[in-house]
Amino acid sequence: MAGTDRTETSTQPWLRTGVTAFALAACIGLITFMAWVLLREIEEVSTANSDNLQWSLAQADVEFLRFELALQRAQDDPALLDQVRRRFDVFYSRMDTIEKGVVFRSLRRDSTYDEPRSRVRAFLDDTVPLIDGDDAALLSALPDIVRSAEDVSDEVRRFSLAGLGAFAEVSDSRREGLVRTLILLAIVLAVLFAGLVLVAMAMFRLSSLSASRAEEVQRTSARMRTIVETSQDAIVVANARGLILEFNPAAEQTFGLSREQTLGEKLIDTLLPEHMREKAQQDYFRFLRDGSRPTAGARQFEVTAVDSSGREFPAEVSVDQAEDAGGRVFVAYIRDISRRRAAEDNLTEARDRALAGERSKAEFLAVMSHEMRTPLNGLLGSMQLMQDEPMSDRQQELLNRMQFSGRLLLSLVNDVLDLAKYEAGKMEVVRKAYSIPQLLDGVVETTAPLAAKNGNTLEWRWVGDPSEGAVGDPRRLRQVLLNLVGNAVKFTRAGSVEIEVELIGSASPQIEFRVIDSGIGIAEQDLDRIFRDFETLDSSYARQAGGTGLGLGIARRFAKLMGGETGVESVRGEGSLFWLRLPFERAVFPLATPRARVENTAISQVSPLDVLLVEDNEINRLVAREILEADGHTVTEAVNGRAGVEWAAAKQFDVILMDVSMPVMDGPEAARNIRAGDGASAKTPIVAITAHALPEEIAGFREAGMSHCISKPLDRETLRQTLAVVAGETEQSDIPAPKDSVRRCESALLSTENLERFVTKGSTALLDRSIAEITWDIDRIGGGLQNDELRRAVHKCAGTCGVFGFSALRDALAAIETKLKRGGAIESRDLREVADLWEETRTALLEWSSER
Amino acid sequence: MHSFLTRAALAMLPMLPMAAVADELAAPEGHVILTITGAIAETNDGDAAVFDLSMLEALEAVTFETSTIWTEGIQSFTGVPLATLMEAVGAEGDVLNATAINDYSVEIPREDWVEDGPIVAYLNNGETMSVRDKGPLWVVYPYDSSSDYQTELIYSRSIWQLDRIVVGE
Repeated sequence: MAGTDRTETSTQPWLRTGVTAFALAACIGLITFMAWVLLREIEEVSTANSDNLQWSLAQADVEFLRFELALQRAQDDPALLDQVRRRFDVFYSRMDTIEKGVVFRSLRRDSTYDEPRSRVRAFLDDTVPLIDGDDAALLSALPDIVRSAEDVSDEVRRFSLAGLGAFAEVSDSRREGLVRTLILLAIVLAVLFAGLVLVAMAMFRLSSLSASRAEEVQRTSARMRTIVETSQDAIVVANARGLILEFNPAAEQTFGLSREQTLGEKLIDTLLPEHMREKAQQDYFRFLRDGSRPTAGARQFEVTAVDSSGREFPAEVSVDQAEDAGGRVFVAYIRDISRRRAAEDNLTEARDRALAGERSKAEFLAVMSHEMRTPLNGLLGSMQLMQDEPMSDRQQELLNRMQFSGRLLLSLVNDVLDLAKYEAGKMEVVRKAYSIPQLLDGVVETTAPLAAKNGNTLEWRWVGDPSEGAVGDPRRLRQVLLNLVGNAVKFTRAGSVEIEVELIGSASPQIEFRVIDSGIGIAEQDLDRIFRDFETLDSSYARQAGGTGLGLGIARRFAKLMGGETGVESVRGEGSLFWLRLPFERAVFPLATPRARVENTAISQVSPLDVLLVEDNEINRLVAREILEADGHTVTEAVNGRAGVEWAAAKQFDVILMDVSMPVMDGPEAARNIRAGDGASAKTPIVAITAHALPEEIAGFREAGMSHCISKPLDRETLRQTLAVVAGETEQSDIPAPKDSVRRCESALLSTENLERFVTKGSTALLDRSIAEITWDIDRIGGGLQNDELRRAVHKCAGTCGVFGFSALRDALAAIETKLKRGGAIESRDLREVADLWEETRTALLEWSSER
Repeated sequence: MHSFLTRAALAMLPMLPMAAVADELAAPEGHVILTITGAIAETNDGDAAVFDLSMLEALEAVTFETSTIWTEGIQSFTGVPLATLMEAVGAEGDVLNATAINDYSVEIPREDWVEDGPIVAYLNNGETMSVRDKGPLWVVYPYDSSSDYQTELIYSRSIWQLDRIVVGE
């Protein structure tokens, strides 16, 4: 009912108004018209245009008869002639009146009236001279007049009758007109009455409608009141000035204030503590000041409220604006959330505690693993040295067993360390370019001895198109692959282990490594289990094969870390296929492999070097000394950084091995001091020895002047290779060591700050052109330029390098320039070095650009 | 209303018109054209007051122009206001019965004897009227001055060829 009414009124108000206006106008028009008609009628009736017509006409007859009578009498008695004259005059006057009267004029067109009248008029005109003559003449003419009068008397009757008939018609038509008018009036009255009835009905309908609406409004408001009063949330209504208009029972309870106390008070001053008011005014309740509707984001907020007892509590407020009859009002739902807040706080605290516990556990593990490695290294190193001592076969066997166990323990510790690092969230993947074939060669090479021992063949091959370079974290990848291949080799006897590499997917390219063995296989129900931590399927076998049960768990984590995944397919007794899928990004530069080249050179023949060993740990120091001395080097020991600096100042060494973390003075600082001073070994190459070499740390070492870095535990082969690199170059030179530092400082190859500035500005065109220029310049510098030309080329090239932050090359060029300025001779070695540096710079540049 | 006011005014100043007229009516010298009888105070012929034309002309005259339903065109009438005439004879009744030579008779109530009301005309367009021309006396109302004077009743009271008036009680 209400619904349809609302629709009606909302869709057709104009129609209704239009109809009403039209009806009103029609009524007014009708009334006006009727009034006009009636007035005209009244006018016509009220102003008579004749006196008593019938009487006049009848009188004409009578007066003529009286004239005739007077004529008769006068014939008998001439004394009565005056009577004749008077009767004649009276009749004459009557005729005159009838002829000239307004109402009679219209009758003249009627021949039945006009013909007799004209004959009577002729009689009168003929008789007038006789009547006006003297008595004798009149008397003598009397008989003639009587005769004529007799003739005319019929005419008089005829025209008076014709006149009466005509006037009867006129009065008939007037009556009919009056009747018509009255009928019209009746119709109009009926219409008006009908209109009034309709209006009355409409009024009645409107009044009943408004009554039902009022009732509905009342019901709704009663319902609203119930809702407001039964709400568990405090509901406060305020006007645009922030004065409280409504305060429900829940609000009374929450704030401990009665409704009467709060009505008309300022909401902010009443419900908020003093220290909150300013902020509330400026911030939360800003809409009160602005008089605007709160924005969607500002409708819910939390404040500190205060109750009548002064207790402050956190409150959640939900507020919005509503239109009221009296203008804008704001409705606020306020909820005391102190209990919820307390629960939340407890929960947060519990979570924080749990997280902290987890973290400290992981940290503990990491620290423990780290601490365990140091003595373990001591053990392993010592055992390696023992191998060189003469021993009985039994002793040799025991030593082998000890070494095997020690290595197993070390790998276990390493695994746990990796796991802990991963769980502590401290593990990061690096992105650098690497060579896939080189990496796989390395993996095969490393696991080949074990494969051979188990009688397995081991090889890797491409499936599909081969690819050279990729961008990723080669160290982690290597670790995962070693794990998978190691497993395969371990669990296969006299079979084959094959590594397949394939590039798959074109939209989002991936590289897939498949390690396929013909080993014992894994039961289907165990396929999931093997990736869990500390899971080994057959403990006896595992023990035999050697493993912690952490390998696959770590492999899976690393795969995830690198954005890929790993899995297995296997048939028991037939073999297994472990696969590793990683996102693939092609490295677009020709891979420079200077290190690999160096590593490949014969290393056993490192000429004896004078080595300064800076290491605080006595065991490590001992092991290192043994390894070095075994290769014929001379070793000088320093127990901390400061001692190292002192030695370096006092004596010129060929190489300095520098531990990183040491008491008194750590490695990098010692290296800086050595480089900064002008001691005997200020330019001696320094090799950092560290257990934890993060990329940025290595950068830091290089900055400090430590050009090389080897990791603990100190491996004899690695140490030999490093020393070969360091010594190899010095040995190549004819002249004993001017030991130009430029070559050592790889960190200074690129100052990315400068570079960033050019490349982020948009195109790399400038950079590309400059690279071409430098290449050309370096070619010319190495191509036999002399003197000034050479100096200009070197100067220009150094400038370009400086601009782009190719610091190492710039420094090398600057050194040459300085030499040239001083008139010194430039050796071919210097120029060769410059060319090599440029090669390295370009490699670093490509690496940098691929990492961006 | 109008007539009532006039009557009231007359009642309050009864002496003024009386003073204007002679204390008593003179005797007619010419042909008598109007005889007034009935409830009148002034007489000059027994119970009647009789007038010849000159006596009427001696009374205060009024001239107005009007059309009538009996004549063509605007007519000018000159005569004695009926009120003046009634004062002259000291009429005491409320109605007068007027009769014409043609024996037409009509009653004219006191309400009609008012200022600017009907006159007893003796000149039509400046000339005396013969019996043939509805003379010698014709009670004429100023029809054009008011629609109240355009009713059949008023037309019926417009008696012509008037020769006798009886003032009723």
